[in-house]
Formats: sequence, structure tokens, C-alpha cells
Amino acid sequence: MNRVTTPTITEPRPELVTREVPRKGIAWIEAASNGDHKAVAKLYLGTAGTFLAVAALLFGLTRLQLIVPDNTMIQPEIFYRLLSGMQASAILFFAVPLFCGLISYIVPLQIGARGVALPRLHQVSYWLYAVGALTFFAGYLYAASENPLAPFAPLAYEEYSVTNGVDAWMAGAGLTVLGFLCWAINMIVTLHTRRAPGMAWRRAPIFTWAAAAISYVLFVVSPVFLAGLTMLMVDRRFDGHFFDALEGGSPLLFEHLAWFFFAGVHAVILIGAMGAISEIVPTFARKPLFSRGAVAGSLVAIAVLGVLAYMQNLYTAPLAWGVQYATMVVALALLVPVGLVLFNWVATLWDGSIAARAPLALAVAGIVLLVIGLAGELMTAVMPVAWQLENTTAAQADTILVVLGGGVLGGFAALHYWLPKITGRAVGEGLAKAAAGLIVAGALVFFVCMTFAGLEGQPVDVYRFYEGTGVSAYNLIASIAAFVIAIGVLLELGNLAYSYGNGRRVGHDPWGGSTLEWFALSPPPPHNFDAVPDVRSAEPMRDIREAVRARERAYAPPKPLPRSEPAASGADRAGDGPSVA
Amino acid sequence: MAPALSPSKTRTRVLRRALSTGALALGICAALAAPAVANPIAPDPAHSPNAEDIRVAYWVTLIVAAALAVVFLGALFVALRRFRERRGASPRRVTGGTGITLRVAGALGLVAVALFVVGVLTTESARKLEPSGPDGLTAATARHAQVGVKDVPQPEPGSDEPAEGAPLVINAVGQQWMWRFEYPGEREDIAEVFSYNELVVPVDTAVLLNVRTVDVLHRWFVPALGGQVDAVPGTTTQTWFKADEVGRYPGASTMYSGTGFPAMRIWVRVVEPEEYEQYIEQRANDLTEAQGAVEEQNREAEE
Repeated sequence: MNRVTTPTITEPRPELVTREVPRKGIAWIEAASNGDHKAVAKLYLGTAGTFLAVAALLFGLTRLQLIVPDNTMIQPEIFYRLLSGMQASAILFFAVPLFCGLISYIVPLQIGARGVALPRLHQVSYWLYAVGALTFFAGYLYAASENPLAPFAPLAYEEYSVTNGVDAWMAGAGLTVLGFLCWAINMIVTLHTRRAPGMAWRRAPIFTWAAAAISYVLFVVSPVFLAGLTMLMVDRRFDGHFFDALEGGSPLLFEHLAWFFFAGVHAVILIGAMGAISEIVPTFARKPLFSRGAVAGSLVAIAVLGVLAYMQNLYTAPLAWGVQYATMVVALALLVPVGLVLFNWVATLWDGSIAARAPLALAVAGIVLLVIGLAGELMTAVMPVAWQLENTTAAQADTILVVLGGGVLGGFAALHYWLPKITGRAVGEGLAKAAAGLIVAGALVFFVCMTFAGLEGQPVDVYRFYEGTGVSAYNLIASIAAFVIAIGVLLELGNLAYSYGNGRRVGHDPWGGSTLEWFALSPPPPHNFDAVPDVRSAEPMRDIREAVRARERAYAPPKPLPRSEPAASGADRAGDGPSVA
Repeated sequence: MAPALSPSKTRTRVLRRALSTGALALGICAALAAPAVANPIAPDPAHSPNAEDIRVAYWVTLIVAAALAVVFLGALFVALRRFRERRGASPRRVTGGTGITLRVAGALGLVAVALFVVGVLTTESARKLEPSGPDGLTAATARHAQVGVKDVPQPEPGSDEPAEGAPLVINAVGQQWMWRFEYPGEREDIAEVFSYNELVVPVDTAVLLNVRTVDVLHRWFVPALGGQVDAVPGTTTQTWFKADEVGRYPGASTMYSGTGFPAMRIWVRVVEPEEYEQYIEQRANDLTEAQGAVEEQNREAEE
């Protein structure tokens, strides 16, 4: 009787017909050679998650050395190899690839595309990244790089860095960054050519805007760093003198090239987290984003200003004062777009009907850390304050908070939100909330202690600190807090890994999202959509849901059902999500 | 809000509200009292005019950044508490237009402009070299190009006499993993008077540091006497300080320069001018003696 009020999944009439069923090969070869953007994205996400675990372990290990003054537990050389591995893992092999993976999976679905524009380039980008990480860690078989964030000239020269670890660093980072460049090219072309009919930029979801900003940032900064690494390699191995002051080169030039890249990476982490959180907040407040235009514009502004402000890392270098002041203008101008995004989140939550689910809990935890870390970075944007705090643990604590809040918690929030789309399974919420609590508590205690130690003048990147310099208590508490952070991160990674294969099955639209990825099946078929809908607003999924409801109302139950119902397969499926609240 | 609550629920709610209000009040009191009482959030006390300028910039930006963070996080948590999910409620789909966006952006922009002005004023003030005071050493010389420091007193053109209040010029040379300090003054037997890791300077005297390196990048930092300055191969960076009190001020290089880098610590010992002159004399004698001993050894080895 009641066949219409309970919409069923009708077999869709496919618009794409595969000529023949492809032969199934061995599973891992299939996974590794599959050009589908979702398969590549899954490799990205899995690898990035692995390196987050590596970074968390190395973070705990390096803090173990710094737990008491004058500690001799780990030798200096070993300590710096571990520190180098930690920083490269956290930034190059985790944070950026995580957002690459999320964007690769979600954004083609969000814009209603059947795939990416350059699938093979996309695939190459992953393998360059994977081989780069492998090359980097191959250095640990003999002697790894002992340079914490990156090898700088002239410290990376043969006379100062004797082992081949620096070469492994440069080759590994170079391959990875080349991968980022390939990824960015594919994503830019995809975003410009593969949007569904009606998906104008003004209707594109915020995460898609974030993807566009990130792609352009990586497209601009990656070649610069590649050039710098190549010049450094020439200097180190082939008697070049790009950065050799004795031969008329400039060591500051390499600092410019490197900081240009790392400022871009910082912007990528910030924009990625902000883009994901800007999708999560409206969904769980059951309200549209307060001002889409302001948030989208702000993300673009953060991309531009964040990269241009790179010279705030050179406030202590002998540069022209006009340049320094111009940098200060750009660095302080970042307050406007960052503040606008934060304002929009609160304004969206205001007067909403907030569902305290795990993605929102993780997002709020990330927001707390981001706000405090960014407030600290606002301080060091002012030049005299930077003279005081830069390269002490105080300024480093700000950066760590931004990476933890944006990369780790923002990334976890995004994974929680979208993993049901990727696997069709829910992720355990209790563990996620516990992990969020651990990470936030640990990070805040760590931040406070490291800030106090930095104000006492403790430099960054030391393998030991001295008794009687007044920082012993701070370092002890910070180390314990670091262990709590590491445990929280590993707990949540375990939770995600377990739920990947064992989570409770959920529908195609578990959260009631308003963007197009929730229109696809979970997990989506290789061609993503059977029928690509016409996009008529910024919330296409909401339009589809309303159309389904309107049709239900039109066909009221007592009426007899017409025999031949028009096929609107996608809309039928959309209606069967459990939480059309 | 639900119209009828059981007594126990009301009590919990009242208790919770009281607790959160109390915590908030406590937090505000702590924040207000912090600059006066709390040592940890204050940098090392300044003992040089440029370090004082840095402290001014620090406190202004700290208050602005903390206020922004508190306002935002407060609003966030109020929103999260007040607007929890209610059954059957469908929130109004309010969105904002250009007007409110421009107003918020304008307010933030004003804060950014204010911070920029504070930044420029304190930077300019910190750069300006303050001439040596009456208690300081006066027989100093300075004649050089200026990179980072402004208003260094210059001698009259064509005159060999040092200018009034001219600074003492000392070279601070970083190397893996120590600092070498080269003092001014010409000597007969030795090239120059130098010391390692501990710099001795007279009180109330402007000291102009030429920060250099012989190998990789280093960074000079003594928190009580001013900000960080890079030592870049091939260039000389300048900074200055004028210590107002006799004492010993610790510092360290803050730029990673290899595995032995934590050992690159600095102590600046500030003494009375007479004691400084004695120190230089003593040091010159010691160095001459050491050089003589080496020459003696060489002669013995030759024979």
C-alpha cells in the first residue's frame, strides 16, 4: 500500500556504460595502480595517517630526552636525527598529504564530477610523495639528516654536514614536493573543468574553495622550494656557490626560498582545517554558514597574505627596513581574514540547533587550539616581539598549537565527518571525544609551559637544557603533556583504523549535509554519480531533499500510485539517509 | 527553556551556573593581576633601553592578542552552551550580508593598524642608539657604515677625536659552537684582546656589536639586553645595548648550527668602567704572556 512514503532504492539507469567488466587483478596491485581519484586519495590518507603515528612517537621520544636538565639519555647526533624525522613527518609527510588526500576524495564529489581531470598525474603525485618519504627514511639506515626543520645553507654543505643524510633529506623532500606540485596541477585543472552544470564558483562549497586556495598555494610555493633544493644540491655536491658567501653567493637567498615554501605549508594547514571546519559547523548547527562569501574570500586572502608574509621569519636578518615594515603590514593584515572566518563560525553556531557529535567536538577542540596558537602568531607578527620570542620555545609553541589544532584535530574532524562517505561505516564517537579531550588538555599545558620556558630564553631545537636556567619544571611538565598528546593522537588513529573496517554501517547521508558528496552512494561507485544533478543553489543536497519531500507530499498516502513513476534515482536514494532531520 | 524542573535539576543548574561564573571571575582577576604578580608571563627584566622598547611591544600585543582570543572563545562557548539541539526545533536560516562582514573586517583592520603603529614606533625606538651616559666609558671610537642601528654619534669630519657619547664597538663572532668577542684598542704584541663566551662591558656605556660568523648562521640573543640578531656569513649585522646596572646577564644562540649548538651560551658581565679597563689590561697581559709561551715552545722545538 504505502509504497511511495517509504522511498526505496530503485536500480538507476546508468548514464555511463562500461564496455566490458575489467579483469580483477591482485588486490594490492589493483589498489596501487588504480587511477580513480578515490583510490589514490585513500592511499594518501593511509600514508599520511602512518606518518602522523611516526611523528607522534618521535615527538614523545624527543621530549623524553628533554624531561630533565643535562640529560644524556640520547646522544646529540641521534637526537637531531629523531627531531629531523619528527618535523619532516609532521609537516611534509603528514599535514600536507592529509589535506591532499581529503581534497582528492571529497572535492570531485562536492563539485559533482565523475573523476579528476588528470588521473595519471594525480596517481604520479602520490607515488612521488610515497617514494620521497621512503627515500627520506632510507637515510636512517646509515646516517640521517641532523637538521631539524630543513637543512639550511651553509650548514648543509659538506664541510659542516658530513654524513649523506642531508642528501637523503634533499632528495626525499624534493620528490615529495614535486608530488605536491603534480597534485596541485591536477586539482586546479579539475576544479576549473569538471564542475557539474550549474556549479558556479559562487555556489561551490567552502571546502572546494579551500581546495582551490590550497592548490594554488602549492602550485606557487613548490617550484620555488624545488629550485632552492636543486641549488643547494649543486652547492653541496658539485662545487656550486649559489649560497656560498665566500664565493659571492648569498646564504640569505636560501632562507628566502625555504621560508617561502614553509609559509605556504603553514597556509595550507590553516586553510585546509578552516575549510573542513566551515563544512562541519553548519551541518551540526543545522544552519547555513553565516556568510559564505566572507569565508570563501577570507580563505583566498589567507592564501595570498600567508605566503607573502613569509619574511616574518627573517625579522632578525639584515634586510632593508622598508622590506621589513612591508612584511609587518602583510603579516598583521592576516588578522582580518582569520578573524572573519572565526567570527563566521560563531555566528553560524549562534541560534542554531547544535548536535554535539564527534566531528563537531573534534572541530571545536581544533578551534580552541587554533585560536590560541594564532593569537600567539599575531604577537610575533610585530617585529620587536619577534626579536624577543622567535626561535625560543615560546614562538615554537604557537606553531605547534596551529599544527595540532589545524592539521591534527582539524584533520581528525574532517576524517570523522567524511569517513562514513569513504567506507560507508560510522567512526566510534566515544573514543574520538576522549582523544580530543586528551589532545586539547595536553596541548594547552604544553603551550603554557613552553611559553614560560621561552620567555626565560630557552632556544628551540636544543638536545639539552642546563640546570639553573629556570626552565627545568617547565620542561618536565611539558614532556608529560607531550606524552598525553601523543597518546591522544595514537588513540584516535587507532579508532579511525578500527572503524575503517569494523564500524557500524550507516546510510549515504549520515549527517544531513547540504553538499553534493552526500548525494553519492557510500562508498561511491567508480563513476561517483549515476546522474549528475543540475545545481541551482549553494546547497544542492538540501534542494534534492526538499524535492523528495515535496514529491512525497504530492503523492499523499491514500491516493493510488500511478504505475509508471518517473525515474529520479538519485533523489530516491537521497531520501533514504537516516537523518533527514 | 523547560517550564517545570525538578528541585534537584534546578539545584544542579544553579550550582553549575555559580561554578562557571566563579571560574570566569577568577580567570578575569588572574588576567588583570598577571602583569603585576606573575613572573612567568613576563620576559626577563630589561636592562637596556632597546630591551625596554621590546617589553612595551610585548605587553601591548599580549593584551590585544589575549583580549581577542578571550572574546572569541567566550562567544564560542556561550553559543555552544546556549544553542544545544532541541527536539523538533528547526533553527532560522539566518545569513549575514556585506554590511556586517565589512563592519567586523573594519574593526579587525583597525586593530591590525594599531598593532602596526605600535610595532613601527617600538622598532624605531629600539634601533636608535642611546649615547653613553655620564657613568660610562668615554674613550670609545666609532666610525663605520650603519646597517641596523640609527643615530650613532659620528666624529667631526677630518677629526681623529671620538664623538661625544660614542659607543664602544665590539665584534661578536659566532662559530661552531662558541662566541668570540673582540675588544677595541690597538696593541703592540697581540692583534687584539678577545674572550670567549663571556663578554665584559662597562656599565652605562653604549655598546655597538658587530655580529659576524666565520662558518654557518648563528643568532645573538641576550634577553635582558635586546632582541635577537642573525649572524650571516659574508655580512656584518649590528645591534647595540646600554646596560643600566652592574651584573651578569645570560643568553644563548637561538639558531640551530649543528649538533653541538646548545653549548653556544652567552654571558654578558657588566662592570664599572675602571674594572673594565683593568680587565682589558689584564686580558692583554695574559694573552701576551700566552703568546710568549707559545713562541718559547716553538723555539725549543726548533732546537
